Amino acid sequence: MSEQVKEIGQAEYEGEVLAASRQQPVVLDFYSTECPPCEALAPKYEAVAEHFAGRARFLKVFRQGNRDLAAKLGVTGSPTLVFFKNGQEAGERMSGEEIKRSALKAQVEALLQ
Amino acid sequence: MAERYDVIIVGAGPAGLSAAIYAARARLKTLVLDESVPGGQMKTTHKVSNYPGFPEDVKGADLAKAFSMQAERFGAKVRRAVEITGRDLSGPVKWFELDEEEKVEAPAVIVATGAKPRELGIPGESKFRGRGISYCATCDGAYFDGKEIHVVGGGNSAVEESLFLTQFAKKVTIIHQLDHFQAEPVSAKEALESPKIEVIWNSEPRAFLGEGQLEKVRVEDVKTHQARELPTDGVFVFVGYAPRTDLLKGLVALNPWGYVETGEDMSTPVPGLYVAGDIRSKKFRQITTAVADGTIAALAVQKYVKDHP
Repeated sequence: MSEQVKEIGQAEYEGEVLAASRQQPVVLDFYSTECPPCEALAPKYEAVAEHFAGRARFLKVFRQGNRDLAAKLGVTGSPTLVFFKNGQEAGERMSGEEIKRSALKAQVEALLQ
Repeated sequence: MAERYDVIIVGAGPAGLSAAIYAARARLKTLVLDESVPGGQMKTTHKVSNYPGFPEDVKGADLAKAFSMQAERFGAKVRRAVEITGRDLSGPVKWFELDEEEKVEAPAVIVATGAKPRELGIPGESKFRGRGISYCATCDGAYFDGKEIHVVGGGNSAVEESLFLTQFAKKVTIIHQLDHFQAEPVSAKEALESPKIEVIWNSEPRAFLGEGQLEKVRVEDVKTHQARELPTDGVFVFVGYAPRTDLLKGLVALNPWGYVETGEDMSTPVPGLYVAGDIRSKKFRQITTAVADGTIAALAVQKYVKDHP
C-alpha cells in the first residue's frame, strides 16, 4: 500500500478524520474483502493520494472490522468514499465500480478551494 | 511517443480476455485495457455453474483470474484500473490516451466493454446508492447480516443473487414485474422453495424513500395500479444490463437498444475496429457466447493486421 494511504480503525475516527479535517480535506474509503470493485479502486485511490500528498489525507477503513462506524455513517456498500472538511462530511459520496480517477481528483480539488 | 501494439483490446471480461489469448498466441503484441480489475461481470458473479470445463461450481472471481492469467501467460499485457482520457479510433492507426499521461496505438482495436448493471431510473436511486441500494451482492451482501432486504428483478441474476443473499439476510423479498421468473428453472425452483425468499409478483418499484438512509421502497402493482410503501433495510437491483458504448459514439451506428451491429467476423464499418461480447447486438449474452465473440474477433484481427501492418 502507498505511504500516502493510511489504514485506520473506527476508534481513530474522531481524531484521524473529524479533527484532522479541520486542517485539510480527508477522504475515507470503506472497503471489503471479496469485492472486485474495491480492488479496482485501490490503485486509483493510491495514485490520487500521491497526487495530493501534503494537501489532503487519504484513509481507508476495513468495513467488516468496523461495522459500527459503517452503520453510524450509513455506509452500506463497498467501496464507498466519504469526504470530510472542517470537521464534517462534505461533498457527494462516491460508491461502486464506476469511480473514476479523474472524478475523484476533481472532487478533492473542489474541497481544496 | 505512443507505445505501439498490434492490437489493443478494451475491456478485460470474457470476450476481451479470450481475444487476448488468441491474439497473444498468434504472436500479436497485445494490450488489454480495463478501468477495473479483469473479469467484467464475471468477477462479481458469486458462482458460475454453466461454464464448460468446470464440473463443480466455480466462483466468478476465480474464473476471471484464470482467464487473465492465461492471457498473460502468452504475453498479453493486461492493464488494470486505467482510465481512457482520450482516443481516436477512426483512422488506420488508432490511439488511446491513458490517465492523461501516456499514449498507446495500434492498427486494430477490439472493443469488448460489455454492459453494466442497468439502473431503474426512479426517484431516490442515486441518492441512496451505497446508502441502502446496491448492484453487487458479493460486494455488499455482508452489510445486510440479519436484515430484511428486497431484490428487484426476475432474471438469472436477480434469482441467483437472491439465493446468495439468503446467507446473510433474514428475509429476501423479490419484487418482479411479471407473474413468473425468467431465470433458469433450476434456480427459479430453488428460490420459490427457499423459506427465506418471498416474491411480490406483477409489481415494480416506483421510488426509494428515506431521510439520510434508505427506509422504504414504493411499489406499484402493475395490474391494479395500487401502490404501497414497504419498509426495507436494503435493496439490490438486478434488472438487466446497459451496453457500454461510450468509446464508439459517432463511429458506428447503434441499434434502438443501444447495442452494436457487427459482421459475422465482429467487424464494424470502421476498418480495423472490431467489437465483441455483450456490447454486440445478439440474442443471447452468456460467458460462453462472449468467449466465442472474442475468439472470432481475434482471428479476424490476425488477418487484418497481416494485411495492414
